[in-house]
Amino acid sequence: MPEDDGLMRVFWPTDLPRSDCKGVVVGWRNSALDVLVVAVLEEVEPRRVESALKLGNLLRNAPHPVSRIYEQCGKSSISVLGVSNTPDTVEVDSSWIRVMISPKQRVPSVTCARASSIQIILFERPLPGRMQYMSLNPIALALGDKHDGFRQDFADSGEEDDEKRERLNKETKRKLVEKLKQHSVVKRIPSPKERTLATIVNQINWAWELEKLLQQNVSRIGTRPKRALSVSERVVESATTARDMILVWLWDMITIYVLPVIKKLFVLGLMAHRVVAEMLLRILEWRLRPRYAALKDISATAQQVEIRLQQFCYWPMQYVTLRLRKNDWASVTTSHPDYIRFYNSLWLVANDVIIGMAFGSYIIDNADWVANEISRLLTTYTVEALQSSISWLMGWPAGLKLNTELAAFLGDLFLWVIEYWASCIETIRPMLPRIVLIIGFSSFAGASMPLALFSDLLSILTIHIYSFYLASARIFHWQLNILQSLFHLFRGKKHNVLRNRIDSCDYGLDQLLVGTILFTVLFFLLPTVVVFYLNFAIARMAIILFKACFDTALSCLNHFPLFALMLRVKDPKRLPGGIRFELRDTQDLSAICNDNNPLRQHPSTSVISLQPIPLDFKSMFYQYFQMGNRIRKHYLSPRVVLCLLTGKFVPPLNRKNLYSLQYSMLPAKRAGVMEMWDAVNSLPASKRKSMPVQVPILANGRNRFPSNYGGGRARSYG
Amino acid sequence: MLTTTPYLTTRRPSPTTAEFTLTTCPPLTLPLRAALFGVLCLRFIAVLSVMIGIYSAFFHPSGLLPPPIFPSGRITLLDFDLNNFLLHMLHLLYVSSPGQSLAHLAVPLPPYAVLALSGITAYIALFARIHTTESLLVLRGLGIQMSSNVGGGYFRLGGGTYMKRTRFIPTEKIQDILINEAFKGFEVRYYLVIVVEGEEDVVVCFPRLLPRRKIVEKVWRGARGCLYEKDGPVMSAGAGGGSTHNGNWRGGNEKG
Repeated sequence: MPEDDGLMRVFWPTDLPRSDCKGVVVGWRNSALDVLVVAVLEEVEPRRVESALKLGNLLRNAPHPVSRIYEQCGKSSISVLGVSNTPDTVEVDSSWIRVMISPKQRVPSVTCARASSIQIILFERPLPGRMQYMSLNPIALALGDKHDGFRQDFADSGEEDDEKRERLNKETKRKLVEKLKQHSVVKRIPSPKERTLATIVNQINWAWELEKLLQQNVSRIGTRPKRALSVSERVVESATTARDMILVWLWDMITIYVLPVIKKLFVLGLMAHRVVAEMLLRILEWRLRPRYAALKDISATAQQVEIRLQQFCYWPMQYVTLRLRKNDWASVTTSHPDYIRFYNSLWLVANDVIIGMAFGSYIIDNADWVANEISRLLTTYTVEALQSSISWLMGWPAGLKLNTELAAFLGDLFLWVIEYWASCIETIRPMLPRIVLIIGFSSFAGASMPLALFSDLLSILTIHIYSFYLASARIFHWQLNILQSLFHLFRGKKHNVLRNRIDSCDYGLDQLLVGTILFTVLFFLLPTVVVFYLNFAIARMAIILFKACFDTALSCLNHFPLFALMLRVKDPKRLPGGIRFELRDTQDLSAICNDNNPLRQHPSTSVISLQPIPLDFKSMFYQYFQMGNRIRKHYLSPRVVLCLLTGKFVPPLNRKNLYSLQYSMLPAKRAGVMEMWDAVNSLPASKRKSMPVQVPILANGRNRFPSNYGGGRARSYG
Repeated sequence: MLTTTPYLTTRRPSPTTAEFTLTTCPPLTLPLRAALFGVLCLRFIAVLSVMIGIYSAFFHPSGLLPPPIFPSGRITLLDFDLNNFLLHMLHLLYVSSPGQSLAHLAVPLPPYAVLALSGITAYIALFARIHTTESLLVLRGLGIQMSSNVGGGYFRLGGGTYMKRTRFIPTEKIQDILINEAFKGFEVRYYLVIVVEGEEDVVVCFPRLLPRRKIVEKVWRGARGCLYEKDGPVMSAGAGGGSTHNGNWRGGNEKG
């Protein structure tokens, strides 16, 4: 009776070289019947391979610490898994597998004495040199959940209704799921085989590098190490060495004396920049009281400056982590998302600057025209259009018979303010070309800068519309409230504030009379107020729409996943979005097995191919969808419609909500100045370690064989 | 004629691996292939007419017959240029009588209407699905994978497979597999549910087809047997299938 359930699982790389030679299959044994093949070593004795693996001979000359492999792959040793193309007459261990492969056959046929059924899972090894890898979960392009707690703090200070509702929904759902757990009749404890899937994916990621290393060292088993150089070869070598010596000496001089100075200066410059950035950021984030808005919450420009400064602060840290990646095996995949994020933000800034230069030079060249155009738009749309619409409302618009006196009063009031505002704009007008020039020059810092400035300019220049909207909304709201309570009086009821309900009430005759008269008067005056309110509300909504357009453009310039999109087209394996399995037809395999060996009892075999799936576009733009959802929920919710109808103030979307995009790219808490100093200074130390590997000529020139270097190092692990 | 009620196909090469496929595509017989080819032709014609519509609306808005680009009507190999060639082909199509009748339809419409109409037509022609195929792949020790077809399914005609959208759930994440009932319209539907640990929503298998209870029960039994059962009727049946091992592993078609 086979142990476990007799199910053997063999992971087999399809891109292993296939040949007819006898060989030894080497790989990871995750449990007795669960193996992952790393390499097939040809023309060697299984016993010798076993002993070499025990001694660590096969992992010599490793460029990086070998212990790291075992740590990442979750096993303490590589073992011999079986033999390939070996006749059945040869006795092998019962847990070993026998593999038949040939160049023609794509799928190997596997048998094992202890297995009653076999799953062969074929996979193509990701190339670590090209930063391909597999993962069970989609690659996280956004920066982890680290900032969630931070957001929570934020939310507590001024949590909005919709956010609160969202949280409550989540809570109820979580409770439901908890309840569902109690419905499970039997709680199965997953077997070790089921739990190793994550480890196996890691081992698959390591397979390529490990196979290279093993194949490199195969010659060590059984054959002598390399012979020493012959006399003639030595002569040639010393001649070339003599020529190289001078170059090497020169290069040495530069690296020892010039380079460190430059590097030091660069680091100092970086630190000075960091200190200035810190001061500016402090100003931008300064709040009068904790609950009050900071500068960056009000102005788009301030927020843009803040994003750029944060990015500049974050880049050195990112660069340091990416440099440290070089000192490790290429198969370690933890920093790949960092790589994508880093280059994405670099590329976006470069793009931004390029677009900004084109945009800026256009604006500077046509500054007068742009200024004229802006002032023309201002006068036509924010002054004249408003004036004409108000005068239209004053004279019975569209046949509506409004109250003439009230309309005239309101209209005159607003017209008077508009006239005052128009005179203010007149005083600004001569300065407009200069402002446009400033905007034009600012765009050399990126196209996002003038966009943000234009957005702010728009909100400053339409401040009168905002205030009109506020005033008319307030009047309308009051009137509506009064009408409501007078209507209750009209019915002989009143609103009980203490119990929050409608009670009946005995009013006196005079009370009723006065209330009814007031109700009638106010009711007939209502349409006049409504039209004025609607007029300004529509203008306000139009401005909000414009600002939303600006914000969308800004977020596209700042956070578009450009690099990820490029990778998705160029090499989808670098953006893993999970794995998938495909069941292959096994008829051809069974036919081959039967032909080869009709007598052998062949276990039932299923061939499955394991493929990575690339990240889908939906999760690439996940942050955008989330932000869009939030905006939609804020502006298109019934609550907002109700607010509009009753004249309550519709709060603009808080800039805080737009931060979710920003924090997908930047850490919520930036690294301090000292932290950065430490990080930047830690870099050279790590570099010194790897230097001898990079400059083999140097070692050669001092009459040392470069191959000895690594060997000496690897011996300590053997 | 092109589709049937969804039926179940099971592939089970070994007792620990099973694929349950639910499809509305009947077995590919010759008449069906011919019909599918006809549909493909219809799609092609629709795309062509969209191109002609756009060409006539934006290049010849007057509706008059313009002179051809290559006056002689034939192209020599020497001055072959792909763009010109395509334009010329489009022009020939435009000049032909069906093209002209289409152009007469398109010209009086405003340009945005033409654009919208042609966009909708092209989308339907390229991406409309005839068949729905959903499958559940159960691998002991690994997990369950659900897949459903996306796109027009052009390769199906040649006997190929669909493009798929898949989702894999590792076994250790699977808390339970169960059959649940729900009201949909005026009927009760039984559906297969996978409860995934650490997820807010349960995962519904065969969400588009939502098969009848008989099929759901069969899949449920098969999936549980394949995932969990150490030994039992399923195992012995599988061993029997294995012992014959003469290629009868593909399982039969079971009409549901």
